[in-house]
Amino acid sequence: MSTGDTKSDILQGTLDLMVLRTLGTMGPQHGFGLAKRIQQISGGALDLNQGTLYPALLRLEQRGWIRSRWGTSDAHRRAKFYEITRKGRRQVEKESEDWARTVAIMDRFVRLAEQD
Amino acid sequence: MRTMWRRFAAILRGDRLDRDLNDEIQVHLAMQEEEFRRQGMDAAAARNAARREFGSVARTQELYRERRGVPWLESAVKDVQYALRGLRRNPGFTAAAVLSLALGIGANTAIFSMFHALMLNMLPVSRPAELVTMYRTGGWGRGYSSYVLYLEVARRTDLFHGVIARSSVDKTPFRAGPGDRPETAQRELVSGNYFAVLGVAPAIGRLFTAEDNRTPHAHPLAVLSYDFWQRRFAADPGVLGRTLVVDAQPLTVIGVAGRGFRGVEVDRHPDLWAPAMMHQGDIMEPGMYWVWIMGRRRPEVSRPQIQAAMDVLLKQHLAGIYGAHPNAAFKKTAMAQQIEVREGAAGLSMLREQFGGPLAVLMAAVGLVLLAACANVANLLLARGAARRKEIAVRLSLGASRGRLVRQALTESLLLAGAGCILGVGFAFWGERGILQFLPASAGDPFVAAPNTAVLAFTLVISLVSAVLFGLAPAIRSTSVDPACCIKSGGAQTGARQAGLRKALVVAQVAFSVMLVALAGLFGHSLSALRARDLGFRNRNVMAFSLDFPRAWKAGETRAARDRLVARLEALPGVSLVSYGAPGPFLGGFSNMSMRIPGSELTAKEPVWVSVQEVAPRYFEILGSAPLAGREIDRSDTPESRKVAVVNEAFVRKMLAGDPHPLERVVSFQEGKVDPTFIVGVVRDIPHTGLREKVVPTVYVPAARMTGWWGAILVRSALPRDEMARAIRAEVARLGPDVTSSDPRTLGQRIDESIFQDRLLATVGGFFGGLALLLAAIGLYGVVAYGMARRGREIGIRIALGARRGIVLRMVLGDALALVAVGLAIGLPASLAAARTVSKVLFGVRPADPLTFITTACALLAVGLVAALLPARRAASIQPVQVLRQE
Repeated sequence: MSTGDTKSDILQGTLDLMVLRTLGTMGPQHGFGLAKRIQQISGGALDLNQGTLYPALLRLEQRGWIRSRWGTSDAHRRAKFYEITRKGRRQVEKESEDWARTVAIMDRFVRLAEQD
Repeated sequence: MRTMWRRFAAILRGDRLDRDLNDEIQVHLAMQEEEFRRQGMDAAAARNAARREFGSVARTQELYRERRGVPWLESAVKDVQYALRGLRRNPGFTAAAVLSLALGIGANTAIFSMFHALMLNMLPVSRPAELVTMYRTGGWGRGYSSYVLYLEVARRTDLFHGVIARSSVDKTPFRAGPGDRPETAQRELVSGNYFAVLGVAPAIGRLFTAEDNRTPHAHPLAVLSYDFWQRRFAADPGVLGRTLVVDAQPLTVIGVAGRGFRGVEVDRHPDLWAPAMMHQGDIMEPGMYWVWIMGRRRPEVSRPQIQAAMDVLLKQHLAGIYGAHPNAAFKKTAMAQQIEVREGAAGLSMLREQFGGPLAVLMAAVGLVLLAACANVANLLLARGAARRKEIAVRLSLGASRGRLVRQALTESLLLAGAGCILGVGFAFWGERGILQFLPASAGDPFVAAPNTAVLAFTLVISLVSAVLFGLAPAIRSTSVDPACCIKSGGAQTGARQAGLRKALVVAQVAFSVMLVALAGLFGHSLSALRARDLGFRNRNVMAFSLDFPRAWKAGETRAARDRLVARLEALPGVSLVSYGAPGPFLGGFSNMSMRIPGSELTAKEPVWVSVQEVAPRYFEILGSAPLAGREIDRSDTPESRKVAVVNEAFVRKMLAGDPHPLERVVSFQEGKVDPTFIVGVVRDIPHTGLREKVVPTVYVPAARMTGWWGAILVRSALPRDEMARAIRAEVARLGPDVTSSDPRTLGQRIDESIFQDRLLATVGGFFGGLALLLAAIGLYGVVAYGMARRGREIGIRIALGARRGIVLRMVLGDALALVAVGLAIGLPASLAAARTVSKVLFGVRPADPLTFITTACALLAVGLVAALLPARRAASIQPVQVLRQE
């Protein structure tokens, strides 16, 4: 399924921040809802293999940033829900700052290149 | 850390988590599929699209599982499997390594568990570190003090939170109720505050208070130990209020002490406690030393402060009692008493006094054994590493990281150490039992056979440390291979540095062995010096036992009972002679009297103390020690006849200044008036108090003059030892249920027991010395054989060029002996230093005994020669043609 040049691979490590951020703003979500939401926010510009979400979720859970439990979805379907923890919220703040800093630095380099 | 834990937990719950993930994926796919259908796709297209969106399910599962598990654990499992395969392929190597480690670890565990029990184990009481004990020295006896002294110490509340007194733990006649069958129980008499000061709580009932120890003989109460309550009364709570008969006194049980509390003495554990006031003698008699004083010091008071206070207190106490004593010799001895304030946290132990030193020596020796074993295993590992160089080179060039290879090698070391540890614990159990055989019955039972966490931790730690010790250097060394070079040369060439390490290890082994062999030699010498000591009598098979009657019996009754026993024993078939004496030979008792000797400078100013033995007729005949002059005590010496005495050689030597006519001399035991006792005989010196002790001037007087009875019965018979002992026990039992005797044993047995430390050190030291020699021989053989393998070509060429085989042989042997010589050069000075630390336990041999050290050096050279001879002869018989053809 070719989606053209506008879709890009996810940068290593950024998926974590996306997941945490999404859970932080939307509250508990199941895996499918999360995948859909991330794709929506990215405006369909992200080539996310939905399957790769699950190892990432596991990693976050192992670090204690999110927790999971089985529950019932709106459509009365049994599903596993993920929820951000307090430790996770702190991590979001920290990573958001890091990310902003990285973006600012990269931005400066890109402008520099344009000026030349 | 948390992450790690979750990962571990995940391994254990693997299946369930797999199912969980599968469910989650199915839900996800179903939701996506539903959404696509809502957007208008048909069922099949929706399912396919959902799968596409998701990506590979298998890939997700795999990633998930990898993430979930613990990668290094899996690689560790692989390392273990690899190491096990390797070890199984080399059974000879594995057996040698595990066995030498097991011996080293086992020896350490065995000695440490005893060391721990005797020296380190804390009493199970509250805040044991605050406890101090007052160890009395000088004067008469050691350790124990008088009750009046205890009362004075206890008054010092400025120093102590509380001071307790306790008697020795004694085997006492016991009945579970009046009229029940007689048994024995270990009894300890204690002050009323004993449990409160120690901080011991009752399991049931109540424990003593100060109120239970006020008036002499007026508190017939007992507290049982938890173990005794369990064992003898099946933990029946109904035991409270029951009346026991202990040493002919009825005592009412008021409580059971808390679980795990076994008294404050390490060597003996009381079954029951009674108030000190129930002591049957005169409690307040200042000359009766029967209580051991123990205090809980105030935290702000240090031990040296207490020591200083005790010095003053004791001096005043003694001056108050003995200051005006008419007998100057008595006063001098009495005033020479001192109190040593010692740490009490680890409890009291008489055995610690005798056995602590040898145990510390053994602890050091087994440490050396373990080091030697480690050196040996390291050597074996290096040899094998050399054989596997090619394999390692191939693996390195195939991309294995060196760290991984080192880790693999260390895994193997840990496995070896683990196997050594398990086998070692078995050896330790067996070894400890062997060592306990040496302890005399009088040593009590300090080593409670129970698994102990401290000992277990010690064993694990030494196993781990040895794994690193013997594993790390070989692991690093054998993986430092240049693959290209090694593969090209077919693995034959090995670095000189590795050979150097192996030689260093062998030198270390030799040095360790020298120390162990030298120490074993000194202990052996010491023991044979003791054994060779002149006993002054021939009949080691004479059986001796002490005999005790109930305190209630009058003097006449005890004498009559003793005479009845003697007559009955004499009438037994096979018994040739019966006699008795007090305290008797080798029974640990002593009896001193002060005397004046008319015509002697020595006693002009004040009387002297001599050892006294009260003996029956034919005492020396039964021992097989004919008098050197005059006669021994006989039937004519009655209480009515003139006073006579027999003296030993030491007496003549020291007290009579070697007088050639001792039989014309008299002595006087009375102060202030002349009451002559005539010397009628001289007998040989007999080391009554123990083989290690000097014979002191001794006077033998007729037992017929004894007022009551105490002492030992001697029996000479042709019967086997066990049979005779049985017959004696039966005859003692006939005297009445409350008459007790010590275990009948021959004098030979008692003499052996009196030198148990020496026998133990010589035997165990000899075993370890032999072991170290064997390990050194193996190591040396390995190095020489390996050197030959490396230098086979060189030797072949030398022989081809005309070197005679004798020269080759000498060259190889010379190399090996040079290693031994270096080991000796290091080991001999080290063992001299070590020997100096054990000089206290040596008898009749100097720590720097030249014979021992020369023998040790010769033994090691001989072992080195033998170990090197086999590979050397192989080297000398190398055929040059064969070697050169191999290239």
